[in-house]
Amino acid sequence: MAVTINDRKYSKSVSENRTLLEFLREDLYLLGVKEGCGEGECGACTVLMNGKTVNSCLVLAVEADRTVIRTIEGESKDGKLNPLQESFKKHHATQCGFCTPGVIMSATSLLERNQNPAEAEIKEAIEGNFCRCTGYRQIIDAIAEAATLLESEVKK
Amino acid sequence: MLYSFSYYKPKSEIEIIETLKSFGDDAKILAGGTDLLVYMKQQIADPKVLVDIKGVPDFSKIEIDSSGNLIIGAAVTCNDVVENQYIRNHYPILATAAKTIGSYQIRNRATVVGNICNASPAADMAGALLVLDSSVIIATEKGNREIPIKQFFVGVKKTSLQQNEFVKAIRVRAEYKDAEAGYLKASRIKGHDLGTCNVALSRGKNGTVKIAIGSCNITPVLLPDFDSTNIDLANILTTAMKNIKPIDDLRGSKEYRKHLVQVFIKRLLNGKGHSH
Repeated sequence: MAVTINDRKYSKSVSENRTLLEFLREDLYLLGVKEGCGEGECGACTVLMNGKTVNSCLVLAVEADRTVIRTIEGESKDGKLNPLQESFKKHHATQCGFCTPGVIMSATSLLERNQNPAEAEIKEAIEGNFCRCTGYRQIIDAIAEAATLLESEVKK
Repeated sequence: MLYSFSYYKPKSEIEIIETLKSFGDDAKILAGGTDLLVYMKQQIADPKVLVDIKGVPDFSKIEIDSSGNLIIGAAVTCNDVVENQYIRNHYPILATAAKTIGSYQIRNRATVVGNICNASPAADMAGALLVLDSSVIIATEKGNREIPIKQFFVGVKKTSLQQNEFVKAIRVRAEYKDAEAGYLKASRIKGHDLGTCNVALSRGKNGTVKIAIGSCNITPVLLPDFDSTNIDLANILTTAMKNIKPIDDLRGSKEYRKHLVQVFIKRLLNGKGHSH
């Protein structure tokens, strides 16, 4: 399969019975992608595939042939966190951190399709991401502030 | 890791049929995979061959046919429906129902046709499609056949699909374009749990009220038509209660389900549940 991941092109052979999650973690060592439930409930494995969030545990690696994938590893540039990640840090939106990569990918997708989301829209965007430390308030605040920051950047 | 199986991604409808023919019962259609891959992981299903239908470009399309009917292809996802402006304007009940399925990530993969083919008694798209008098377009060895969606569901997770057949699209009647229709669903946790029960209701331009109820029988059920010019609430509720046989389970008791169905019917008749 040929796939572009975080702006890098890969050409690899992969057996049919492996999920995209297994391919990313075990073949490419992109360990930011987490496996929680493995059944599409918890969202810890959320990545962007052709710009859309998917549960990588429910996508076969072969289905990702000729797609563009983004994972948490591609979000910071030159060792610097992006504004959304900075906002998570500022609001203490990360507790144990297991859900964070998936939540950030869901939030990234939200902010790319809606620069001024209402709180209800933020909640809907992350409804597929479980946080069992239950820091949802901080997560919602972090996304809301990142949206405001990004919007003011666009206006500049 | 999943057990070993083969994966095929045919580029045409004929190739899909040929692949199904060569592997028979060992083959299963893969669309969004949000049900099938879970079943495979839980070893509820163990197909030896997966036939991915997403390689046929036409199947990803939402189109209008020459008679003005809406066609939803087999690979169209729930979010495609939620975000489609034509559907939001003219068949908003479909967007309302699609939006209640799973989480945002699930809706990016789960297909409308897959929701129907999985044939859960709780299938969210079933009710909405039933009250819009939709039909199911089935590809077979001898060409296409089309059946009313109410004939499609035959049991829990059982459809009237025969061997070497698959659903290529759903046709929603133009007669129901801009019809008043709504969908209400109860579930314990939005975004994750299956529905406790659901009701869809439409008022057609032909003067009929159609009501479909989910999670109360072994299949989603469509009640006999009612006259929209002369609404007899008592008769509608009695007919609804006669036509459902809910069970007690972890999502609710049968009495609770019966109560919810009656409340939902009243609300829908009063115009609730019509936005998304």
